[in-house]
Amino acid sequence: MAGGIELTLAPGECHALQAVPELLDSVGAAGGDPAADRLDQAPYPDDPEAAAEFRRLMAEEMVQSRAADRSAFALTVEQSSRGVILSAGEAEAWMRVLAEARLVLASRLGIIEDGWEDDLPEDDPPVALLHYLGWLQQSLTETLEDYLP
Amino acid sequence: MTTTPRHDEIGSTEVGLDRPWNVVVWNDPVNLMTYVVYVFRKLFGFSEEKATRLMLQVHNQGRAIVATGPREKMEMDSFRLHSHGLWATMERS
Repeated sequence: MAGGIELTLAPGECHALQAVPELLDSVGAAGGDPAADRLDQAPYPDDPEAAAEFRRLMAEEMVQSRAADRSAFALTVEQSSRGVILSAGEAEAWMRVLAEARLVLASRLGIIEDGWEDDLPEDDPPVALLHYLGWLQQSLTETLEDYLP
Repeated sequence: MTTTPRHDEIGSTEVGLDRPWNVVVWNDPVNLMTYVVYVFRKLFGFSEEKATRLMLQVHNQGRAIVATGPREKMEMDSFRLHSHGLWATMERS
């Protein structure tokens, strides 16, 4: 699958995506922001001590991993209205950034159960963005499936 | 009243150390089915069939065990799932 993944977005799409880094930067500290609680997980729900130790060991690596994804996204998103070729690695970074942004939007909208698509008005800007990011994430994921062994 | 120690007081720490852990992925209303299948295939090398079966188990039953093994390895698997935005916890196997 040499040659990369060609991505050309309409100016309106590109504009919407440029709001994503700011959205992710707005996530506050765990305990005060539902988005942070959803993103900054520890795998020990019933063991606060083990959870704290996990966070102590892994938090910095998670911050760096997300920062690398966001940086790859930010560098390419501006070119996407003119057409940009993403490497598989860059497309994966996009996919994770979109997943993260959708989790942030959904947690702020109070989405906690399946079926929200039928309940929330599609013309509400954050809901519309949630749908759009999902559509784009779906397209990227389907393309990246061809790169799996 | 009794001098017989309960089972969990006998060497429970050693037993605990040896026992493997499971990584459990939980249903959430936001992550796309296609994406969850992709993440399972990418992180664990599952076939499309196995990844799809586990994704459907998460979706329909609320949770699925996706990995079992030593604690440190399972913490790394949890971390990688978290870094993809999936909701994952650990439990003793």
